[in-house]
Amino acid sequence: MSIEAVGITKKFGQFAALNNVDLEIPGGELVALLGPSGSGKTTLLRIIAGLEFPDSGTVRFDGNDISDRTARERRVGFVFQHYALFRHMTVFENIAFGLRVRPREYRPSRVQIRTKVHDLLKLIQLENLADRYPSQLSGGQRQRVALARALAVEPSVLLLDEPFGALDAKVRLELRRWLRQLHDEIHITSVFVTHDQEEALEVADRVVVMNEGRIEQVGNPEDVYNYPASPFVYNFLGNVNLFHGRIDDDKTYIHESETGHVVYVRPHLLDIARLSSGGSHFRARIKHINAAGPLVKIEAIAEWGDPVRVELPQERFRSLQLMKNEEVFIIPKDVTVFPARKEMARAK
Amino acid sequence: MAASITFGNPAATMGAARATTERTWVRWSLIGIAVTFLATFLFLPLAIVFSSALAKGFSVYFAAVREPDALAAIKLTLIAAGISVPLNLVFGVAAAWAIGKFDFVGKSLLITLIDLPFSVSPVVSGLIYVLIFGLQGLLGPWLAAHDIKIIFAAPGIVLATMFVTFPFVARELIPLVEAQGTEEEEAALTLGASGWQTFWRVTLPNIKWGLLYGVILCNARAMGEFGAVSVVSGHIRGRTNTIPLHIEILYNEYQFAPAFAVASLLALLALATLFAKSAVEWKARQYSEEMAKMSGESL
Repeated sequence: MSIEAVGITKKFGQFAALNNVDLEIPGGELVALLGPSGSGKTTLLRIIAGLEFPDSGTVRFDGNDISDRTARERRVGFVFQHYALFRHMTVFENIAFGLRVRPREYRPSRVQIRTKVHDLLKLIQLENLADRYPSQLSGGQRQRVALARALAVEPSVLLLDEPFGALDAKVRLELRRWLRQLHDEIHITSVFVTHDQEEALEVADRVVVMNEGRIEQVGNPEDVYNYPASPFVYNFLGNVNLFHGRIDDDKTYIHESETGHVVYVRPHLLDIARLSSGGSHFRARIKHINAAGPLVKIEAIAEWGDPVRVELPQERFRSLQLMKNEEVFIIPKDVTVFPARKEMARAK
Repeated sequence: MAASITFGNPAATMGAARATTERTWVRWSLIGIAVTFLATFLFLPLAIVFSSALAKGFSVYFAAVREPDALAAIKLTLIAAGISVPLNLVFGVAAAWAIGKFDFVGKSLLITLIDLPFSVSPVVSGLIYVLIFGLQGLLGPWLAAHDIKIIFAAPGIVLATMFVTFPFVARELIPLVEAQGTEEEEAALTLGASGWQTFWRVTLPNIKWGLLYGVILCNARAMGEFGAVSVVSGHIRGRTNTIPLHIEILYNEYQFAPAFAVASLLALLALATLFAKSAVEWKARQYSEEMAKMSGESL
């Protein structure tokens, strides 16, 4: 089922959580709403679910206006950040809840409910834990139960609010790959909220980057990462070095006095050399080296005094044999330039 | 040397315990003061109630408890508690639900009003009803014209009891409901449950221990209330006396053994209440530990 949000505005007191937001989600996709806290992503998700109502704007499922319907009538599956499992019910009862509260004429029989719940338990790989209480489960298990509970009512769309936010790093990684696999199997239109760019880029078919109650960019992960539409998106999707500069005859000049533009360079798009190669480069002095991890992180001070972050592959670092306090040349391999005024307007 | 850094290291635990423990004589004198105080002000009076009640033997005791005026007082007390406790239960749950789950104008005013009976003297609480429903009161002439008796009759006693006891359930539930938040209710709604189903299947099971605790305290106060009831009762024997009022009359007439016999009923109620209260507290603590375990891990 496709989801469409048109002109959504929502204020909490003086704070505008969403400012005239338009969003279209095609049926069957797995979409990430990505943004920092306060960007309005959770509010947008809750408005789609019917847990919150916008001050103005329309929500449509498959083209039908459902703005006036309650959460109960929208038939969405909602997964909460802190699971919101019913703590006095077992895993089985939690998953069966949505089926048991149906009006009698739509309620499946006892046997049907049992079969359905066991199928879902198999899906989330927790078949032997049906009689446990939520307090007896680990965080990752609880989140899977919450997901099964949401899927039990066969929702038209699945909405997940920071589904992995409360889990530790390793479980989070496992679970998000599992969610991707699950989605490839059942193809239900799914929207999940996250503030973790890595998570969004890895799991989603399409990423919606939000900031200050607006949508900055919508696109597939490659496009959003490689062709960011705004300085904010560039900044938010990874580490970045900022230089003031200007463009002349298709050439970019870094650190000029007359600065019409802001130049963005990711740390891994900078290289280091001992000798001037004759191409683009600037001088810097190495301040700090951290060689733990797949990339070596180097902090240097540019010739004009600003700090610069460089990330080198381990082999490159070993062949260079860089030392602290050494004078080197830094070579930008690729840069992205945005007009400075836009940057200032956004940055606050 | 791996053993020296494990968490369960007994030497480290003992060292920590010693650091927060007082010296022996300090410990024993503190315990001694507490025990002496409890003995003088709680155990001794309780023992005297029962020994005085049985001073003239079991026959006098049972005669005092089974005498018609005493039975009437017991009946009226049960009626007052039987009406006011369920009504305050409904009110308390509704108030806690409203305050804990919703934001609205006048919320803090409502919380203050719920506390009012705690801060007002019971005598004043009784007088309020005399001033409203009494013969010289606001509605007095109208009530008299329609032959409705509230003051110096059972309805007045029920009203006064309700007023005095209405904070108990609400006060117990409000912090609980606030702490639990609204996520489980929202989850129930998205799963298709109606408001009524959400309340019965999700909210109520989560607050049941707090609710039971509030009801027990509410009931104890409803049966033992003296001041407010005394003002509206008129002390008509066999008709408008509750147990506490009946005890006072007997005592004022120098009938000590019967007075203490009836008083022992209230004392037994107090003991039963304490017992039930501890049982519920114990059960609720188990429950909240599980809850804490759950939310602690999820945060």
